[in-house]
Amino acid sequence: MITTSNLTKAYNGVTVLNIENLDIPKGQSFGLVGNNGAGKTTYFSLLLDLIQPTTGHIKNKDILVNESEDWKPFTSSFIDESFLIGYLTAEEYFYFIGELRGQNKSDVDALVSQFEDFFHDEILGKKKYLRDLSKGNQKKAGIVAALIGNPEVIILDEPFANLDPTTQIRLKSIIKNLAEKQGVTVLISSHDLLHVTDVCERIVVLEKGELVKDLVTSTETLKELEAHFAGSELV
Amino acid sequence: MIKRFLSLEWKQFRRASYFQKGVAIKILLFLAVLYFGGIAIFIGGIMFFGLKKTFPDIDPIVMVNNYLVYWVLFELMIRYFMQQLPVMNIKPLMIIPIKRNSVIHYLLGKTTLSFFNFISPLLFLPFTIVLLFQGYPVVNVILWFFALMCITLSINFLNFLVNKSNTVFYGIASAVIAIVALRYFNIFDITEPVGKIFNGLYNQPYLAIIPLLMMIGLYKANFDFIRKGFYLDGAISKKVKEVNATDLSWMDRFGSVAPFLKNDIKMITRNARPKQVVLMSFFFLFYGLFFFTQKMYIEEMPYLLGFASIFITGGFLLSFGQLVPSWDSEYYKLLMSQNIPYRQYLESKWYLMVFAVIVAFILSTPYLYFGLDIYLIIAAGALFNIGLNTFITLFGGALNRVPIELDTKAKAFSNTNGFNPTQLLIALPKMILPIIIFFIPYHFISFNAGLVALALSGVIGILFKNFFLNQIEQVYQKGKYKTIAAFSEKK
Repeated sequence: MITTSNLTKAYNGVTVLNIENLDIPKGQSFGLVGNNGAGKTTYFSLLLDLIQPTTGHIKNKDILVNESEDWKPFTSSFIDESFLIGYLTAEEYFYFIGELRGQNKSDVDALVSQFEDFFHDEILGKKKYLRDLSKGNQKKAGIVAALIGNPEVIILDEPFANLDPTTQIRLKSIIKNLAEKQGVTVLISSHDLLHVTDVCERIVVLEKGELVKDLVTSTETLKELEAHFAGSELV
Repeated sequence: MIKRFLSLEWKQFRRASYFQKGVAIKILLFLAVLYFGGIAIFIGGIMFFGLKKTFPDIDPIVMVNNYLVYWVLFELMIRYFMQQLPVMNIKPLMIIPIKRNSVIHYLLGKTTLSFFNFISPLLFLPFTIVLLFQGYPVVNVILWFFALMCITLSINFLNFLVNKSNTVFYGIASAVIAIVALRYFNIFDITEPVGKIFNGLYNQPYLAIIPLLMMIGLYKANFDFIRKGFYLDGAISKKVKEVNATDLSWMDRFGSVAPFLKNDIKMITRNARPKQVVLMSFFFLFYGLFFFTQKMYIEEMPYLLGFASIFITGGFLLSFGQLVPSWDSEYYKLLMSQNIPYRQYLESKWYLMVFAVIVAFILSTPYLYFGLDIYLIIAAGALFNIGLNTFITLFGGALNRVPIELDTKAKAFSNTNGFNPTQLLIALPKMILPIIIFFIPYHFISFNAGLVALALSGVIGILFKNFFLNQIEQVYQKGKYKTIAAFSEKK
């Protein structure tokens, strides 16, 4: 589904990302872990054509993302708060995204209603603008909006940060369900090793822009990751 | 302690984004301040002689006093819409061991240094000096001036309360409306009694103590208000407004651009900054009064008429349009990664501007008073605005990469967003083109030929809409990464 070849990104001659080859097949739940500055967000930004690659390219369903816009209809994402429109209410925001993705109001309502428990009654029908919601609630709205319109690829940057425990657990089941049952390719990044190993079939570790580990999740993975990060802290 | 505050303040000033702009901008800003200050001083200086000449029977100071009430209302309104309150800055001071009282005193003291507090003295100090030279009684004049300054500061503090409390706002707003309505329907003219009060201030100088007490009282009221609400969720918090959702589904008829149009309408009605722009564009409507009331312009400098007509209908177009991608800067990444063709995005902005020009044109109907010719030139100017100015403005927007904080009012003179040399270059054709298009046929053929040429240029622009939009789209596409990077920079 997503092929990355010879991708590098450099700022003023300093390479911050260097991935020679990375293939993510359709329907995989893919986790990206790494310390701050490892290049996780840079990779996602390149994937969404928000920044320009220095060399190489990413293909999303055989479409070169930095040359064509045709990947947009089947790709959705939530990276940070700048993906929210602060002066809309959550409902208005969902409908807006729905309109952009060719969904009518009842389609959106049907989708959103599945997540009512996810919202804990704090987001819908509250007559509040998104900018007045707490960080965690903003994130929930952003994540749910990324699910609108049956996307084939969903990219979530740090989806678990700022969420309360109940929602974290619920989000994990949502992501698993998307990848396993609906064949959606889900890309997430996280600092929380436990969550990633719970959710993702495959985990890639980035370190200073380089791909250092590529693991198929098993019962050993969490330990291996913990050992890796504990070790790299000492170096 | 005050010294610390001042040094913080100095750092904030020195390190503010607008201060770190290029030298050219600084000079321009400086000139702008000089210009407006100069105008105020000039008006203040000649006010006495002007009034004396126009109304030889009435003492100028009486005349000024009679109409001072409008100045007060005007100042109150301008401040309500323009003056930014410095409240948010005290958040970091709350947990530091500083006495609350001194923070509040400092905060209120700081508001007195606002630009808006200097308009009045700039205007009335020269007037006062002229009065003194004209041999008016010294004590009376000086205490009158003192009283005016107290009133200015009272307005300053009142504005704070008005902004913070809905009750005060509605109270004052209804009082103002009542005053204007009563006068309009000739029931009761408030200017007279209020004029008497101001004249009383002048004649009985010791009465200056009343405005002084008023100022102190308002200061105290502010102090208590902040003191009581000195908590994160109290007076210093931003007001969390309840949503007033309006049904905009009727706009769906605009087809594929409808979602953007609806969004833009919400953006404008729900954020402080765009509201300000709309208000400003409303003032542009009156721009023509400068020109059309003076015979001189109509007879000797008719080429300026084309210029004036652009501004009457183009206020929104010019002030909103030049910041086009910036309005969406807060969520630009979303727009760039969502399923949105750039073309539709630009087209929706185009429709919005066209709509605004049409509304402004309808509102400009009263200009018929100045004759059909004037009205026709406004119509031709409106066509030019729709057909050409919209595209020039959108094109200029592509070069503008300054993020906008939507829900923060622009500060006077720090509003340098989109104020850079390229932007100025782009602004030139907007001003000069209509003059040229109108003047050449006018000079060589006739007034009507000028009109037709101006109108025709607009029509041609509309016919070539797709071509222009395609060109502009390419410019936007090219600058996409730069724009995203600039918009995600935190202030």
